[in-house]
Amino acid sequence: MSGGTRLENANPLIFQRSGERLLTATDEDEDLADPIDDREIFDLIRSISDPEHPLSLEELNVVEQMRVNVNDEESTVSVEFTPTIPHCSMATLIGLSIKVKLLRSLPDRFKIDVHITPGTHASEDAVNKQLADKERVAAALENSQLLEVVNQCLSTRTM
Amino acid sequence: MLCTFCELKTKVLSRQPQLLCACAAEFEAWLLFFRMAADNSVLLGLVEEFVSGQVDSKAAETVTGSALSLTSSQPQTRGRGVQLLSQVLQECYSSLSEKELEVLLAFYENRLKDHYVIIPHVLQGLKALTECSVLPPGSAVSILRSIFQDLHVQVNTFLKGLGADFIFGFVQSVDGERDPRNLLLAFQVARNIIHRGYGLGKFVEELFEVMSCYFPIDFSPVSTAVFQTASERVESAGLSAVSALVSCLSRSVLSSDSEDVLQVFLSLVLKDCQHHLCEPDLKLVWPSAKLLQAAAGASYRASLIVSAAVIPALLEQYNNRTQVRSLLMYFSLCLLHKHTEDSVLVAFQQSLCSVVFSALTESSAGLQVTATGVLTALGQQPGLLAQTDVEKAVDHLTRLILEEDDTKVSLAVVECSGSLAHLHPKAFISRLIPRLKEEILSGQSDAAVRQRCVTALASVSSLPSVVQESAPILLQVLASAHTGTHSFYSKISFLIIFSTLLFSYRSASRMASQAVSLFLDGDVSFLPENAFPSQIQLLQRKKQHLWDSSCHSFTSRQVEIPEIDRLLVQLEDLSCTCPHLFSYTSAAKCFAGLVNKRPAGEALDAVLERVMKRISVELENVSSAQRTQAFTLLLWVSKALLLRYHPLSTALTDKLFALLSDPALGSQVADGFCVLMSDSLDVLNRNCHADVRIMYRQRFFAENSTKLIQGFNSAEQEEKSCYLKALSHIVSNLPRQIQLTELPALLPLLLEALSCADQAVQLSTLSCLQPVLLEPPAAIRNQLEALFSRLLALTTSPVMKVRIASLQCVHALSRLPEHMVLPFRARVLKALAVPLDDKKRLVRIKAMVARGEWFLLGSPGGK
Repeated sequence: MSGGTRLENANPLIFQRSGERLLTATDEDEDLADPIDDREIFDLIRSISDPEHPLSLEELNVVEQMRVNVNDEESTVSVEFTPTIPHCSMATLIGLSIKVKLLRSLPDRFKIDVHITPGTHASEDAVNKQLADKERVAAALENSQLLEVVNQCLSTRTM
Repeated sequence: MLCTFCELKTKVLSRQPQLLCACAAEFEAWLLFFRMAADNSVLLGLVEEFVSGQVDSKAAETVTGSALSLTSSQPQTRGRGVQLLSQVLQECYSSLSEKELEVLLAFYENRLKDHYVIIPHVLQGLKALTECSVLPPGSAVSILRSIFQDLHVQVNTFLKGLGADFIFGFVQSVDGERDPRNLLLAFQVARNIIHRGYGLGKFVEELFEVMSCYFPIDFSPVSTAVFQTASERVESAGLSAVSALVSCLSRSVLSSDSEDVLQVFLSLVLKDCQHHLCEPDLKLVWPSAKLLQAAAGASYRASLIVSAAVIPALLEQYNNRTQVRSLLMYFSLCLLHKHTEDSVLVAFQQSLCSVVFSALTESSAGLQVTATGVLTALGQQPGLLAQTDVEKAVDHLTRLILEEDDTKVSLAVVECSGSLAHLHPKAFISRLIPRLKEEILSGQSDAAVRQRCVTALASVSSLPSVVQESAPILLQVLASAHTGTHSFYSKISFLIIFSTLLFSYRSASRMASQAVSLFLDGDVSFLPENAFPSQIQLLQRKKQHLWDSSCHSFTSRQVEIPEIDRLLVQLEDLSCTCPHLFSYTSAAKCFAGLVNKRPAGEALDAVLERVMKRISVELENVSSAQRTQAFTLLLWVSKALLLRYHPLSTALTDKLFALLSDPALGSQVADGFCVLMSDSLDVLNRNCHADVRIMYRQRFFAENSTKLIQGFNSAEQEEKSCYLKALSHIVSNLPRQIQLTELPALLPLLLEALSCADQAVQLSTLSCLQPVLLEPPAAIRNQLEALFSRLLALTTSPVMKVRIASLQCVHALSRLPEHMVLPFRARVLKALAVPLDDKKRLVRIKAMVARGEWFLLGSPGGK
């Protein structure tokens, strides 16, 4: 982030990105409906940037497809994310970025649940509580500095 | 280090009194500075800033107030500074710690880029540093790399002078290296050493050993992707190093009594690799094979030596194992490509042939495919395939065509037949064609087999002698085929003619005349026995697409088409009267192709006049059943004339514009503009040697845009959509630059087009609009309101493609200057919430992306 502070996780493990989703014939058929599935949600969040490194959440393995669960009929989506280290102070920020991205990209009918993978963070309960609280989230986005950081994470990078 | 330094300082200074006063204090300060830098990464950064020439005032104050010789603008002064530093280092290098060493190495490697006066001192310093026992891993190689990169030729001679020592040192430092990144560097350096002609002397063997011990490349699995791609790169780098080594050795000059270095080296390689090829467990087969291939591929001599050794061994082993068979095929293929004379392979020609033939009878598809490749290569070398072998090959191929249904294999077989037929046509004529003919005409084989036979016939028809045999068969196929399958057969016939004419270009005129006579007069011999008028018509149609523009238009302009007038008359008749869509279109295309190439003059004018009269009469007769045919002919002739800038083209295109308001033909005419402006694949393009002038589209647009706009403004409501369709076709085929400059005038029309109900119009307008929006002209600012309303409305269109295209346009609009589009933000965000829930995923994805961008617009941290 700013010049003098030390990075929390200076040498993270980097994971390989999965390729683009393949098009199938049904995708182009006008009459068939494509339900929203896990891969679609994963594609949304995988390219969110990490606040500290010029890497995406997928490359840092913070988000994985198997930890995304969506149910189109019941309009629910649940995303578990894994901070890179147990005392990561960026956890709330990352969770917030994911939540905002989903809020901006999914229809209103969806109930969005973003939480930390159980057992991977020291203060996961506190973070999860914050992320689940709608008013807290809305208030956070009123804060222009916080919004700036979130928007930076969400800006699409050219890959 | 400081106390040893004080001792050494006195030692040095006592030897160099003239340097004493000026540099001593400053030098002490520098060494102190370097020491501090080793402990503090911030200072390390400052060091790097220094060496790149920037004088940082903060650090200068830290060290000393005076100008420093190491950063002096005078190269001589800098040289003296470096010289002093190097001399000190030569004395005290053993007491340096690893961190200090790293800092100094970075400094020295950077100094290699400096002025040439300084370089010798830099090299001395580097030499001293490299003798340190605590040299960090990989630094030797990176030093060498900087040396190769940054030094110029005269210093290379200095290194060559180091000669054997240098090579030895390099080999030593690479020995045992495990990090793949360093290995990559090492291989590159090895290549450079070889290519720049360093005398390898007696270290050839050591060099080879140190390189080859890395084969086969075997990495214990590491989770990061870096290592996995690195292993492939290392392997290919290693293989290319071996290749380079071999090619260099092949070019070495031998004295009469010295050993052949190449032989020595290759015997080393073969010794290592050959036994792997015949091992029972075949674990290291493919890596050894790749190594041998890299060596063999490097030069002709090497390939001779390697093949002489390897092929007999493999031939012996052939019958034992399948892996060996694939290996043999692989090698033969590689080696055959290299050989222009086949002195080596002639010796095993017989066994190789029998091996190939037996491979062709195997059931493994991969093996069969490679075997056909080998067969093709064998056939292309003179003398490798005897007449009997050719015949056997043809029989095998015939069998495979008839029996093998694996697509990859049949494709390979067809290709092989094609290339062999070109070289040994007689065998094919006498053996393949009669057998296939029997099969095709028997009427009892199933469709897949017939298709393969016809495809094979097409591919072997590359010489006139063969075409003479195969063409009649295909014509018969056409004649007896049912209407439903004619498109397939016509494609095949297309193929034959195309390939014939391409391969026998010199006899193009003969082919053309044969084709013409077959077309005009050939119906006599092909009349089926019970000749009903309808069947004759059927035949005519089928012949039409056989002798399509593919036949005539492919020939160059210089080729005289015999009886061209008679041909033109027939084509005209056919295109105006035939009720069958494909036929009259093809006839029109053919006619147009000929007209386009006809040289200007009375003959051409007469033809055009006649045709125009006929077309006008037909079109004016509103109740005629053949208006569509007449219009089609008009369209294609207009295109033919437009492409060559013929003066009559304007009259014809005006006629087309007039037809836009015709109630029956209007929309067909609008679609026709697409034909007029876009490149057609089969006729009237440059590949067919048509007369195409440059920038004809721009010219057409420039001359007619006002007419089009006027016509649109004065048209009735129902007709407007036709004008819009025509316009969007014309504009979307223009080059980008023209689109951009014309946009201000056309924008109102395009916006109109967006609200037109016709979905094709919407789609073409949107695709036309989107690239323009990426670099929008100033004129767009006045139209934003209209643009946004229309685009947002289209995001809910019933057609998926329209939704996607309009979302892309909305996305593109987010990149306009903020002050122009910010007022629309709230509206856009609200409107885009709807397609987020679209039933098609492709639409949703575009909506999410667009909406995300609009959220970021004007938001902190967004843009």
